[in-house]
Amino acid sequence: MKELVEFIAKSIVDAPDEVKVDEETNEEGLMTLKLQVADEDKGRVIGKQGRIAEAMRTLLRVKAAKAATRVRLEIV
Amino acid sequence: MAEDKEDVTEVAREVLETLLDLLGVSARVTPLPGFLVEEAAPAPTSVTLNVEGEDLGILIGRRGQTLSSLQYLVRIIVGHQTKTWLPIVIDVEGYKQRRCNALQSLAWRIAEQVKTTKTPFTLEPMPAFDRRIIHLTLATHPDVYTESSGEGEARRVVILPKVPPD
Repeated sequence: MKELVEFIAKSIVDAPDEVKVDEETNEEGLMTLKLQVADEDKGRVIGKQGRIAEAMRTLLRVKAAKAATRVRLEIV
Repeated sequence: MAEDKEDVTEVAREVLETLLDLLGVSARVTPLPGFLVEEAAPAPTSVTLNVEGEDLGILIGRRGQTLSSLQYLVRIIVGHQTKTWLPIVIDVEGYKQRRCNALQSLAWRIAEQVKTTKTPFTLEPMPAFDRRIIHLTLATHPDVYTESSGEGEARRVVILPKVPPD
């Protein structure tokens, strides 16, 4: 999960070294990915009307479905 | 320009292969010379990649939503890396090609009906890619023209007669 978001984020930002993804799983098995990027890159990973974030979530859903889990993506 | 296109195709292919790998989907990516819809309005600079493998319905998703997210991300990543923008089309097992053929037959059939009845016909709501195929298919039709109406998810194509009703 983490690697997928990391790859996408690093490929579209200007400061790939500042991309960081934290993975947390709660008791109910819900995984939360927290994506952190440089302030100037925030808009890039969100996209116009959140389209990039939405596309990342769609791909995460595919991967989560394969693993029979649920995953959430937060941009912090 | 031809060189640019080859470079972009290669970068796009690598990006797509990496994404598929990270998604845990094993599939083969083959560049295609072009997409059939372009027959109606040639766009020779577009890059088409076809994904082949087992059990790829998961990559298409409901109404092709997963496929369009995948295509969108590949476009953004390739655009950022190559600093050029070419329309990259990603297809899965010829899904879009088949959909394109079906939409073209539909367009021609309804166009005939509209021509005969001289009454506009409103199609079901469709995603942008599908609407574009209908518009392109009928762009040169002598007796009908097309418009889109509605917003967002509900946006649909209307096929209208060129002659006003009697």
